[in-house]
Amino acid sequence: RIKPVEGRGCLLKEVHLNVTDLGLGYRTKEELIFRYCSGPCSDAETNYDKILNNLTHNKKLVKDTPSRTCCRPITFDDDLSFLDDNNEDYHILRKHSARKCGCV
Amino acid sequence: PAVTRENNCLNAAKACNLNDTCKKYRSAYISPCTSRVSTAEVCNKRKCHKALRQFFDKVPPKHSYGMLFCSCPAGDQSACSERRRQTIVPVCSYEDKEKPNCLSLQASCKTNYICRSRLADFFANCQSEPRSLSGCLKENYADCLLSYSGLIGTVMTPNYLRSPKISVVPYCDCSSSGNGKEECDKFTEFFTDNTCLRKAIHAFGNGTDVGVWQPMPPV
Repeated sequence: RIKPVEGRGCLLKEVHLNVTDLGLGYRTKEELIFRYCSGPCSDAETNYDKILNNLTHNKKLVKDTPSRTCCRPITFDDDLSFLDDNNEDYHILRKHSARKCGCV
Repeated sequence: PAVTRENNCLNAAKACNLNDTCKKYRSAYISPCTSRVSTAEVCNKRKCHKALRQFFDKVPPKHSYGMLFCSCPAGDQSACSERRRQTIVPVCSYEDKEKPNCLSLQASCKTNYICRSRLADFFANCQSEPRSLSGCLKENYADCLLSYSGLIGTVMTPNYLRSPKISVVPYCDCSSSGNGKEECDKFTEFFTDNTCLRKAIHAFGNGTDVGVWQPMPPV
């Protein structure tokens, strides 16, 4: 179980979009609120992240760049459903939008 | 130049997905109503009905009625009214392998206490009265719409017919009624040709009767 660290800069933001803006290939005129996580996580870094930073700087890790603390969703929003332009098929999007963010 | 007509049913669906409660309960019924459970069954009808009842229970009428009673241009047989017909996912909640006789459907409704009481409410609250301006005996559109939407998720689940004027009916007909033909026709006409219900739906769709739904605090 991932325990996210508080990152003061890592915030939940939202934008009002057409479902087609998501680029998932659906044909519909329906809309949604897309929520995402954004912001710095530098204040939530651990010794692990500092070590990785030093090791990459000092070239102690050959051909490898492990990822640092990231501002990511820790809970997802409810499912979104919409009717296709053919007025026949419904589609459901799962885990498409963030509900809570954390530095993980 | 062709004028792009407003699709009120599409607008209602957009508004629903921008509201967290409506979005949640909409997906909560779309999911069971569109999930195939076996090669023989298109869905779990019982779960679909239950989720539909929850939707009309929990979602403010502004949104739930907005989708169910949206107004479409008269005679529109395309985008708008087809979307309205699809609101309840009829392939699962409405249609069946066989179309029962309406009187036998009514009998099976009466064996279930939810269905029995909701059907009784519908007959009481949507009764037409030609002499009244509203067209209803009980001059209260809100009660009529509430009892109509209450039937959704029971074996009496009604839906719009593909017809130029607003006409609804449960999934049944009056074939093989025998000597009950007259009673059966009376029963179906209460749905298909009901002035009170039709006027109540029009009033909601046109926003001409603002007292139809309780005002909701802003979200």
